[in-house]
Amino acid sequence: MRVQLDSTPRPAFVRSRLRAAACVLLAAGVPAAARADDAAPKYQLDASGLLYGEQGRANVVEPVAKLTRLFDNGASLGGQFTLDVITGASPTGARPTTSIQTITNASGTSSTVQANQLPVTAFHDRRMAGDIDWTQPVGALFNATSSAHASVEKDYSSLGAGETFSLDTFHRLITWSLGGSYSHDLVFPVGGTPVGLTAGGAFTGVARNPKDVTSVMAGVSRILSRQWMVALNATSIYERGYLTEPYKVVSILDPVSQNPTSFLTENRPTRRSRYNITASSVYHLTPDVLYASYRYYWDDWQLGSHTLDLRFRHELGNDSFLQPHFRFYTQSAAKFFTLGLIQGAPLPDFASSDQRLSHFNSVTLGLTYGFKPHGYPGEWTIRAEYIAQFQKVNLGPTEGTDGAPVQTAPDAFPLLNIGTLTAGYSLSF
Amino acid sequence: MRGTMPESSPPASPALEVSRAGDYFVGRFRAMASPCEVLLDLDDREEGLELAAIARDEAWRIERKFSRYLAGNIVHEINHSAARAVTVDDETARLIDYAAECWESSEGRFDITSGVLRRVWTFDGSSHVPSDDEVRDALAHVGWSRVTWTPPVIRLPAGMEIDLGGIGKEYAVDRAATLLAGRARCAFLVNFGGDLFASGARRENRAWGVGLDDPARSGESVLGKFDLTAGALATSGDARRYVMHQGKRLGHILDPRTGWPVADAPRSVTVLGRSCLEAGTLATLAILHGPSAAEFLEREGVRHWVL
Repeated sequence: MRVQLDSTPRPAFVRSRLRAAACVLLAAGVPAAARADDAAPKYQLDASGLLYGEQGRANVVEPVAKLTRLFDNGASLGGQFTLDVITGASPTGARPTTSIQTITNASGTSSTVQANQLPVTAFHDRRMAGDIDWTQPVGALFNATSSAHASVEKDYSSLGAGETFSLDTFHRLITWSLGGSYSHDLVFPVGGTPVGLTAGGAFTGVARNPKDVTSVMAGVSRILSRQWMVALNATSIYERGYLTEPYKVVSILDPVSQNPTSFLTENRPTRRSRYNITASSVYHLTPDVLYASYRYYWDDWQLGSHTLDLRFRHELGNDSFLQPHFRFYTQSAAKFFTLGLIQGAPLPDFASSDQRLSHFNSVTLGLTYGFKPHGYPGEWTIRAEYIAQFQKVNLGPTEGTDGAPVQTAPDAFPLLNIGTLTAGYSLSF
Repeated sequence: MRGTMPESSPPASPALEVSRAGDYFVGRFRAMASPCEVLLDLDDREEGLELAAIARDEAWRIERKFSRYLAGNIVHEINHSAARAVTVDDETARLIDYAAECWESSEGRFDITSGVLRRVWTFDGSSHVPSDDEVRDALAHVGWSRVTWTPPVIRLPAGMEIDLGGIGKEYAVDRAATLLAGRARCAFLVNFGGDLFASGARRENRAWGVGLDDPARSGESVLGKFDLTAGALATSGDARRYVMHQGKRLGHILDPRTGWPVADAPRSVTVLGRSCLEAGTLATLAILHGPSAAEFLEREGVRHWVL
C-alpha cells in the first residue's frame, strides 16, 4: 500500500471553485458605471403573474407590476399595481355530516351540501391594490422610506401609510431599522352586516364597518463575515374594529348524534394584538446561497405559530439558477375556535369555525428557476410550489367546546392540496 | 502574479480603429498595456464600431478603476489607507471576494498582496537576485491572511498593498464579453493581450482561428493553430521577463509563500475555460506549481498547453 502525502487538491477541485467564484463575480448586475454614465439604469421593472389553486376550492390569478425610478442621489420612487381575481369556493365553517344538509348564509341565499362534504360557498371577487413608496437617503448612513397603499374589492377597502427609518453603523456592518404603519379599512358585507351568533337574517344596520390596523416594527441586521449575514425583526400589530368574517357560520350540533342541526353566524372579538419575531440568516457558500428563517407568532386570541423557511439558491452558470424551497408551518387554534356549538348549551361570547383559526400544519415544497436569456434584456423566474395543509391529530373528543365531547365525525378539515405557479420578469433600463 | 496593468498613466482615451478583415470586422485599441481587439462576425461597419466601442469603454473603465498605478482610484485608496478601514463599492467587493477565493483554493499560492515583492525583484534577464534579508523584509508585508476583509470593508496592515492586476485583464475580457452578449446579434471574440473569449459559432457554423504564441520567439512564431467557437482562453507566463540564478531561469511569477520566483516553472501555460477569469487563474496557478504545472492541469481536467 502506498501512502499518499500529496497535499494537492482533489481533481477538478480548484477549477470548480474558481468557476463558481467567477460566476458570482460576473453574474452580478452590471455596475452603474459600467455603462456610459448617462446610460446608468434609471428604472427597474418587476412584473409577475401568480396562479394559485386549492384543490376543489379557490383559484386566484394575481398579476403584479412594479416600476421603480432610481435617482442618482440614491433616492427611489416605486409604484406597484396588483390585481387579484379569485373564483371558487371557500369553507363556510359548517361541519360536514353523514347526510345531505342545507345551509343558509347571512345574505339569505341557501345551498345544499352532499353527505361527508365540507360545506363551502361559491364566490367570485376581484381586488385591486396600489402601493407607492419613496426612499430618501439622508447622509451616507441613514435612509427614510415613506409608503402608502390603497386597495378595494367588492366588500372591503383599505387605505394606509407607513414610515421606516434605517441606520447603518459600524462600517455598515450593522443596520438598524424602525418603522410604523397605520391602515384604515372598511368591511361592507354584501346584503348587510349580520349580527354575530344569530341564525342569519338579523342585521346590525351598519353598512360599513371600520377596522383600524396599527403596526410597529424594529429590526437589526448584522454582517458577520464575508459569507454570513443574520437579522432579527420584531413586529407588533394592533387591530381594532370589525374583525369578524361576515359570511362564515358555526354549526349547532345535536348533543347526541353530533350532526349539525342549524347554523349561527360567527362572531369574533373587536380587538386583536398580534406579535411576531423573525430570525433570519443568509449564508453565501460561493456561489450558492442558503437562506434560512424562523418566525414565532402569537396573539391575544391565543393563536400561536412557528414557521421554518429554508431556501437554497444553486447557481447553474450561464446566468441561471435553481432554488428549492421548504417551509414548515404549524399553528395552534384561537381560543374561541370551535368545530360546532352544542345545541342547548349557553352561547359563548365569541365563536368561529374558520379553518384559518384552527390548529393545522402545512408543508410547502417549491422550486424556482431563474434565467437570463442570451441576447434579450432582463431576468426571468418561474416558481412552482406545492402546499399541503393538514391536521396532525384527528379532530376528536378533545376538541369539543363547553365540556361536551365531540365525537369523531367526517373529517372537519381534510388534507388540502394547494398549488401555485408564478412567472416573474425584472428589467433595469 | 502577472503584471498586466500599465506602468504609467494611460492616455485620456484609447483610440479605436475598426477595419474589415475578410468576412468580419476587427476593432483595435490599446488598454491595460496590451494590444486589444474585438472580432465581430458582421457586415455593418457602423454596428461594428458601436460594439467595439462598448468593449473599449469597458476595458478602459476597468483599467482606470483597478490599476494600482493610477492615483485616485479605489485600489490607490486602499493601498494608501495607512491601516484605516476602507469601504469599497459592490464591484470591488466582488472582485476582492474572487481574489480571496483564489487565495483559499490555491492554498495561498495566489495572493493579491504579493505585489510588494516586486519592489525587490527585477526581471530584466540579468542574474541579479535580491538578498535573503531583502526578500524577508518584503515578505513581512505579504499575506492575504493578514488582511481584514468583512465586505464591504477592507483593512490592510500598514505597508501592505493589493494588486488586482493578476485578474484584472481576465475580468475585463469577461465583462466586455458580458456587455457584448447583451447587445450584439452576431458572434464575437474578445482578445485583450492574448486573453480571449469567444461567444459561439460564427455564421455558417464556422469557428475563429486562434494561434498559440511560441514563448521562445514571441510575436514571431506560432506554435499551433486551432479553432475556437465558444469559451475562454488565457495564457500566463512571459518568456521575456526572467532572471538567471545558479544556472536556472526564474520566471516573473513569484510564490508569495517563499518570496521567490517559482523554480523550473513552464515559460507559458495556456488554459481553455468557461470564463477568462477561470482560465487565467488556472494558468497562473499552474505556473505556481512549477514543474508539476501540467500535472496540476491534468488533475483539474482542463484543456491546456504547457510550453
